[in-house]
Amino acid sequence: MGIVWASIATLGVLLAGGLLTWWLEPRLLKAFGSTEPGPAAPLDIRKNPRPSQADPLTYYGAPIIALFGVVWATVCLPWGPALIPADVNIGLFYFIVVVDFVVLAVALGGWGGNTPGSVEACYRIVAQLAAYVVPLGLAIIGPIMMARSLSTVHIVEAQRDAHLWYIAPQLPGFVLYLVTGLMQVYRAPFLEPFAACIDRGVLGACGGWPGVLWRLALAGLLFVVAAMGAVLFLGGYAGPWLPGWLWMLIKTLAVMVLMLWLGHRVRLRGTADMLALAWKFLIPVGLANVLLVGILILLGVGQGPFPLVGSAP
Amino acid sequence: MIVPTYAVVALAGLMTFGFALLGAALWRPRVQTLEVPDSWKQYHFGFATYALIFLAFDMEMIFMYPWAVVFAGIGVKAFLDMLVFIALLGGGIAYAWGMGGLKWE
Repeated sequence: MGIVWASIATLGVLLAGGLLTWWLEPRLLKAFGSTEPGPAAPLDIRKNPRPSQADPLTYYGAPIIALFGVVWATVCLPWGPALIPADVNIGLFYFIVVVDFVVLAVALGGWGGNTPGSVEACYRIVAQLAAYVVPLGLAIIGPIMMARSLSTVHIVEAQRDAHLWYIAPQLPGFVLYLVTGLMQVYRAPFLEPFAACIDRGVLGACGGWPGVLWRLALAGLLFVVAAMGAVLFLGGYAGPWLPGWLWMLIKTLAVMVLMLWLGHRVRLRGTADMLALAWKFLIPVGLANVLLVGILILLGVGQGPFPLVGSAP
Repeated sequence: MIVPTYAVVALAGLMTFGFALLGAALWRPRVQTLEVPDSWKQYHFGFATYALIFLAFDMEMIFMYPWAVVFAGIGVKAFLDMLVFIALLGGGIAYAWGMGGLKWE
């Protein structure tokens, strides 16, 4: 693909995925009997509030920064062996870095919004970052070790060549990814920065076009995190009969439904609970998971005869 | 290889920016001013110690990424290296926990 077409495709995929998630998520939440939508709260099109004390640059710029994060994350999502906007060779490392632009955006937009709720959201989201980043990174290391590559395409090909989805040998890693993924996408039970008690943070302080951009970015965030879960643990676009992109979409939606369903089985958690859960439980589990995957690899699990193009030295 | 890759990243970013500005120019619903007090005040946030420990652990997690790529090619030696590293990290968490660092203040 040429550079221009690849960029247009990136935006198209994100727009399609984000809008699909925006449409689907409230229906799923209703089916699960949830009353707390969090970042999926509907946009009231008749209201366009603007806080009287807002700082215009950060207030209007923040949703665009959040969109940068999810658009750049979409660049490294594979939909087929050659159907990827750009096969970034440091793929997963790049992914975890660019997705956190959303945190930067909510922190900036919350501070710039200058309402009590949005400034509170700024603090809450930074605390949430300190909870999820390390265990999420540890969950992602498992598939990298087995596939010997950071590239998303290589990780899918490695699973196909070994005839093994990494969910099978790395079930603790997959569960860890689901839990920390829920923290990263701010869905129940970890929706503190967008909780109703602080008037939904930045979403409550925005309407009109910035409100649309925020919701698109937050729906797109759920989409890209679920898609990356499908790539890492469910074999991505690989599968029989159906075309690759359709498999990828099915697996992405499966991960999304599983995340939202799991999230609504438990009660909502506060920021302090979240930090304690991450540091006292998830990080030790993540470290143990790295060792477990290491032992499995030394025993020869998941090591199919695949070529190592441009990955290992 | 690296230039076309990041050209896509840059162009996708630019197009997002343009798309966002275009939307803002085309659709401008009437603004209702929300009268709120100035909220840029000093907050007490309870995760100061967490934030410091987080900085240290985030760096160490990043060190594991290059190791993870070459691990399967090197084998037992790389595994023992990481065993020592993880033992130190685990010791670090246990120490921070024991000293009361993992607490909302």
